[in-house]
Amino acid sequence: MKKWERIAAAILTFIGVSAATLAYDLGFGDFHQPGPGFFPFWLSAILALVSFIYFLTQLGPDSHRVSLWDKHAWVRPFQAAGVMFLYSLAMGWMGFFPATFLLFLIWLILIEREKWLTVGLVSVLGTLSFFLIFTVFLKVPLPKGAIF
Amino acid sequence: MDAFSGLWSGFALAVTPVNLLFALIGATLGTAVGVLPGLGPAATISLLLPLSYALGNPVTSIIMLAGIYYGAMYGGSTTSILLNIPGEAASVVTCIDGYQMAKKGRAGAALGMSAIGSFIAGTGGVVGLTFVAPPLSAFALKFGPAEYFSLTILGLMLATYLSGKSVIKGLIMAVLGLLLATVGMDPVTGNMRYTFGLLILEDGFDFLTLGMGLFGIGEIFISLEEKMKAELVTTKITNLWPTLKDWAISKWSVVRGSLIGFFVGLLPGGGAVIASLLAYAVEKRVSKEPEKFGSGALEGVASPESANNSAASASFIPMLTLGIPGNPAIAMIFAALLIQGVTPGPLLIKDHPHLFWAVIASMYIGNVMLLILNLPLVGLWVQMLKVPYSILAPTIVLICSIGVYSMKNDVTDVSLMVIFGVLGYVLRKLRFELGPLLLAFVLGRILERSLRQALLISRGDISIFITKPISAFLLGIVALMILSSVIWALYNRFKTKPTAPGKTA
Repeated sequence: MKKWERIAAAILTFIGVSAATLAYDLGFGDFHQPGPGFFPFWLSAILALVSFIYFLTQLGPDSHRVSLWDKHAWVRPFQAAGVMFLYSLAMGWMGFFPATFLLFLIWLILIEREKWLTVGLVSVLGTLSFFLIFTVFLKVPLPKGAIF
Repeated sequence: MDAFSGLWSGFALAVTPVNLLFALIGATLGTAVGVLPGLGPAATISLLLPLSYALGNPVTSIIMLAGIYYGAMYGGSTTSILLNIPGEAASVVTCIDGYQMAKKGRAGAALGMSAIGSFIAGTGGVVGLTFVAPPLSAFALKFGPAEYFSLTILGLMLATYLSGKSVIKGLIMAVLGLLLATVGMDPVTGNMRYTFGLLILEDGFDFLTLGMGLFGIGEIFISLEEKMKAELVTTKITNLWPTLKDWAISKWSVVRGSLIGFFVGLLPGGGAVIASLLAYAVEKRVSKEPEKFGSGALEGVASPESANNSAASASFIPMLTLGIPGNPAIAMIFAALLIQGVTPGPLLIKDHPHLFWAVIASMYIGNVMLLILNLPLVGLWVQMLKVPYSILAPTIVLICSIGVYSMKNDVTDVSLMVIFGVLGYVLRKLRFELGPLLLAFVLGRILERSLRQALLISRGDISIFITKPISAFLLGIVALMILSSVIWALYNRFKTKPTAPGKTA
């Protein structure tokens, strides 16, 4: 676990230093007339400092080695993240409802490994329910694309 | 307007058919999200922010959103007792004894005592809110920018301290949240900050996108790590009304839980989760038979369930009177008020007395509705638990996507939500608490504005923060907290350092 904590602390320290540099370039001003970079500069500096202290506390041997994920536990969450990200892109391109149908389909096949009958039924009925609730009843303007 | 006449006018507004309907919708939705694992009150409220905006009436929308928050506290216990999975975070400890009671055929008693304890504590919490909020609000009218700056710092420090085991990690999250809030246009000079030339960042990150990503989507990723293999207790649920013996056993547990919940709920960062954990620990400590805990003790259900409801009511106090939201769900309601053009804070009771008192009155009514929803209708919620998570997860994803998209009609916000979801998931894996991040994000603009205003007033003299008595007092508490945690850390390091006998020579 300490290895991951060190990596996280190093990344956060880097973010703090970079953000402080950018904030200083924005215009620090002074205490009498604070500039746009004044508040972000102090925040970034504190972030860098606290993250670095945290990094130092994680040095030394790891007394209880615990992995961040048990075996392949990370696979499904990252699969889901990938599917959702593609869904957000597809929504704008092909329209909300075709993209939603595909989301149900891919989610149930790839992530949940459901039976084909369940996949088909849930994808069709799920998309139809969303259409009825959000478009017909609530009249929410959802993205329309090349397909629907 | 004194508390009684205020409450009277509040009831007049809360009992209109529309407000009653939305109180019922809020209470029902709250119970539903409390029952369903994987969708907490914070995510649900953020999901309904666009709808609350569409309602156009701030009173009606806040009545509904408040109902979701305290309703979730009722619903969470059902899943904990019948499924051994917390429906929402504040019902984690209810699993311990609640599920054991259900396995022994006493699910009815556990559910009944949980609902009645919740009702007593929830109503008690609203009584506290009725009488504590107005004087606190009047006192807060004395606050200027310096006091607000110090109060916000204190709120963030408390949130950091109470949110998790590691103070330093909580602090990192709070600072990161403040930094994220600075992205976009500087409100004073109009300069762009951290936008990297991207148009989408010019308005800054949207609260809804961040909140729904971190909490809604992040929670789904956590749930996906392993397939839920929970076993629903399927015995018929009978005898929901507690017996005289049950009352005798748990009456003081309800009282203790309610009091603990109320005081913890008042603190920023406290909220229902810590209140229920603390109530369980206290109950076990004061019990004459602590060995009973873990094998189906009724007190182990009554006390934490009372505490989380009392805390939910109390956590409205700092938000409504000081403008400091104490936990993510309350932060969402805070955002909803801002969207409606209402700024929570000391002027709320003065400027919007009808909203303030109508929301409080609706909470009394909502608690009665929840008692009815959670006692006679418990069977309905049990049926809901039979919906497989494999279908629930993509449905939640879709609802979150629609919620985020409909704020600005921009699909890029959906992509941003997914990115925040991944960030939230990774941070949770690394055991960072997300509460301080979200609270700091909400408070970021207030903090910056107060700081800059205070410095302008004092002509750049930073001693303004320690020469004003209230500000100095608040910062003094912050200093004491930092000092005590440093001493505690040094003490622990010294205490755990192994003695090396051979090294003395």
